[in-house]
This record gives sequence, C-alpha cells and structure tokens, in this order.
Amino acid sequence: MIHSTNLSKTFQSYIKEPGFKGSLKAIFSRNYVYKDAVKNFNIESKRGEIIGLLGPNGAGKTTLMKMFTGIIVPSRGDLTVMGYKPWERSKEFRKKIALVMGQKSQLWWDIPAMDSFLLLQKYYEIPDDKFKKRVMEMSDILQVEPLLKVHVRKLSLGERMKMELMASLLHTPEIIFLDEPTIGLDLVAQENIREFISEYHRTHNATIFLTSHYMADIQALCKRLVLIFNGEKHYDGPIKEFENILGKDKVVSFYFSEAQNPNDPLWMRLEPKWNDFLDQVELKIPESDLRETTQKILDHKSIIDFHTENMPIERVMKTLMANPDILKA
Amino acid sequence: MKHYLQVYQKFVSTAFTQASSFRISFFLVILMDLFFYFSTLASVIFIYDHVEYIGVWQKSQLMFFISFMLTLDWLHMTLFSESFWMMGEHIRTGSLDFILLRPIHSIFSVFFRHFRPATMVNGLVAIFFLIKYGLALNLSPLSWALTPFLIILGLTLLLIIEIIISIAMFWIVEGLGVNFLRMQIQHLSRWPDFIYASLTRKVLTIFLPVLLIGSGPVRFLYDYKDYKLLIGLIIAIIISWKLMLILWNVGLKKYDSASS
Repeated sequence: MIHSTNLSKTFQSYIKEPGFKGSLKAIFSRNYVYKDAVKNFNIESKRGEIIGLLGPNGAGKTTLMKMFTGIIVPSRGDLTVMGYKPWERSKEFRKKIALVMGQKSQLWWDIPAMDSFLLLQKYYEIPDDKFKKRVMEMSDILQVEPLLKVHVRKLSLGERMKMELMASLLHTPEIIFLDEPTIGLDLVAQENIREFISEYHRTHNATIFLTSHYMADIQALCKRLVLIFNGEKHYDGPIKEFENILGKDKVVSFYFSEAQNPNDPLWMRLEPKWNDFLDQVELKIPESDLRETTQKILDHKSIIDFHTENMPIERVMKTLMANPDILKA
Repeated sequence: MKHYLQVYQKFVSTAFTQASSFRISFFLVILMDLFFYFSTLASVIFIYDHVEYIGVWQKSQLMFFISFMLTLDWLHMTLFSESFWMMGEHIRTGSLDFILLRPIHSIFSVFFRHFRPATMVNGLVAIFFLIKYGLALNLSPLSWALTPFLIILGLTLLLIIEIIISIAMFWIVEGLGVNFLRMQIQHLSRWPDFIYASLTRKVLTIFLPVLLIGSGPVRFLYDYKDYKLLIGLIIAIIISWKLMLILWNVGLKKYDSASS
C-alpha cells in the first residue's frame, strides 16, 4: 500500500531576534535555517494494517502524513501510495485516501455539518443512496444524529471530532491517516472514537496510519508501531516487542496503610515513583525477581492492596524520549 | 464538467446558508457595493459636467465603458473576490491542506469556493446602467448580443491575471500585500486604454495586459473594425492560462503547510 525509500523533507525558516529592532532587521536581512523534518524514512505497509506513528512533538509525524497524502512534496527520496505518487494528486488517488487532523478542521465553521457532508458528497461523487446510508450508519454509531443540523461552531470539541471523522470516511477511503484524532477529548469520547475507527477497519479492511499522544489509542488499535525521533525512524515492529525494549520488567504498584520511608533499601534500586503522601509506590521489578521481591515487601510492610502490570508503553516512551540511544544498543 | 457544476452548485448553496447566518453583515455588504457603484459613476458624471470629451470618447461612451467594467466587477465580486482574500488565510493557517485533498482541480477549489450572495443583488444596478448607456449609444443588436460574452471574456483575463499574482502568496505567505497589489491592477483596468501615456499603455497592454480587459471588448462594440485589442485579449487569455497552470504547480511545490 505504502512504499517509501529514503523519504526526506527539509523545511526552511528564519531566525528572528525579539522586539522591534529584530523585526526591522528581519525585513532587510534574514538568517535562514534548514531543518530536516523527515530524514531517510523507509517504510513498507500492507493492506489492512493499522500502524501507530509515535514520537515527541516535532518528530516529523505530521510531515510524514502530509507527504503520504500529497499535501506537501518530499525534498528527496521515493514514495508511492497504492502505486500513486501522492504529490501528483491524481483524482483517483485522492478518492482513495482520507486525512483527519485533530488540530485542524475540514468542516466549514459557519454551516451545519450536514451541509458540509452534502458538499463532500459532490466532491467525491457519492451516489445519493450510498451517501444517505453512510451518513445514517456513521451518525448512528457515533450517536450524533441530532447534531447533524447544528452549526459546527456550536458543537463541543468531541462532537466536532466525530463530525470530522464522518466527513473523512463518507467516501469509504482505502487508506486513512489519523493525526491525533483524540486530542483534547475526554475519556468517554476517546473510547467512542477508538471503537468507531476499529469498526471501520473491521468492515472495510482499510489501512490506517495513526499518530496520537495517548498511548491508549495506540495500544487499543495498532499491532505495528513506528517510532520517530528528529525525523528518523528508530523502531518499526510489533507493539508487543516494543513493550519489551527496556527489558522484561514488571511494574508493581503497592498501596500502604501508612506513609513509608522512601529511602528504605527494600525499594531503593527499583526506580520507585511515590505519591505525595508516600503511601503509594510504583516499582519496576525484573520479571525474574518478581515473586521474591514482592513477597519481601508483603512480609515487612502493611499493605492494603497491590497489582502488577507489564511495563506501560507510556513509560517506555518517556524513557526513550529522554535517551533515544537505548534503541541503538 | 458535470462534476464541477455539481460541486459549484453546492458552493453556492453553502454560501447562502453561511450568509443567512449573518444577516446584518449581508445587508452591509449590499450597501457598501451600492456606494462603490454610485461613487464611481458620479465621479465620471462630475468630470463630464466640465468637459465634453475625455480622450476620444464623449460622456455616453465612457459611461457605457464604466458600466461594462462595473458589471464585470459585479461578477468578480460575487463569484471570486472573497476566494482571493481567503487564499492567504488558507496558506497561512494550513487550511489549504484539506482543499488539496479534494478530488478536483485545486485552482477551482481555491478560487471558486467563496460565492458572495450579498453582492449578487447589486448586479441589477450595474446592468441597469449598462443598458441605459448602451441605449444612449444606439448599440446594434449584434453588439447587444455580444456584450455578455465579451464581459465574460474580459472577466476571464482579469481572473487569470489575478490568480497569477496571487500565486506569489505561496512564497510570501501573508496575503494582504498581494491582495492590495491585485486591487491596484483592477483599478488600472477600470479606465479605457487611451487615458494612459504611450509607454504605460504599451506595458499595460502587452506585458501586464489589464487594459485589454475592458478596452478590447468595448472598442469592438463601438466599431467592429477596431478588433485588434479584442484579438489581443483572446491571445492574452491563452498565454496567461498556460502560464497560470505552470506557476500554480510551482507554487504548490513550494507550499509547506502550517504546522499542526
């Protein structure tokens, strides 16, 4: 579906000194800087895959999405999406893709969502009966039927995001690029959107690229994960393997009946994370020592509750962001 | 073609939905446009109260020319003007991203998108003066029949020239300066070619052919033997059309899209 070799994008910008003097100087002389937003990015994806693109802000995720959809032209390298060169923007190609951006709206602000959908129907040449069926199906799943005739500017963020998704999927695209589709939404709305995306994938076997700052999105939807730092790919593989990058450690949370001494040798070497009252702690325990260490703590301390989980992907990400060289090792 | 017409029909209907949301603004735009039409006509009438001829034309001839250009301007304001102002916004904010995703030519999506219903009503005024001064000149039936086509021809060249100028926004990003430049070009075309000095006239006829927009068609309507500028108009449309398509594609390659 998508094939890229050494895909790169360089952006030009200029440095402006602060204040009026800096503004005046920038009119006559500019200090240009060039930044590689994406560097030598290679990827091969198959039909029906859901791929999570992970990386900190400014890593190049959105730039990649924009190159995949043909919005911007790559500076170097090769890219084909379903056999098309995206930047040539052929009509057939554009009918097969969709892009949802959590931070940008494609709906017209001053008209109801349904009016936007009707315009999109004409853009994508969707037959009337198919259009009505799609709108009914999607509005039913997302429970937004009563909101279709409300002006978009009057909708809440979550409601608007649901409409954005509907607008993008009206023409049943084969590839969907979702750039932070759940950003700023409450937990219930996030869950609804994840279920909707998952349902669309099941029904249409669509290929989905997803970026999100919420690991829950990635964990719920993606089997494959691509990690990007500073425009370069640092990991590409199953999400299960990614969770084990920092070793097969387990995270065990203990809830004590009273405040504890954080300098107790029992947990000093287990990277403890305490709450403010020092009566809850999260410990990173090697899988091999799990039974012995847990038993020791249970024997010596007054425990109300405890639970064990795999290394949360969120923590793996945080550790990698702080030290990306771990991946090279 | 059918695809484009269906999309355009929706552009118009969504524009009406949008305009109906802001009723006071709707009526203000009508008033402002009427003010512009009457002040333009009144300034020419005022000059003719003191002189018999401007260049080679007497009052009715120049008033017909002005009405011809006002009608063209009315179509421009109704069909395209707002889209030019929005283009800078699209580039600056990155909302052009979604326009580029639509399966239709991006020039169409950008420059035909914003229909302005409020301006539509004022066309009656422009057309009224066009007929009034056309009757005063005893235009032939053929000239009357040709007038709408010639207005569209002039509008086509104006539109292409303005699109070419607007392509600069891909580099400049902020659209205000480009839009003011575009408006100055419009002002130049609103007067007949003979009011300009020789060198300026040549530049504005050959290199930046804005004088062909009105003078070409109107001169032809007055005298069918005076067809050279009209032929020039058609040639200018063909050449600038090709140039516009080339520059548009270069501009799109330059488009970086705003960060999300």
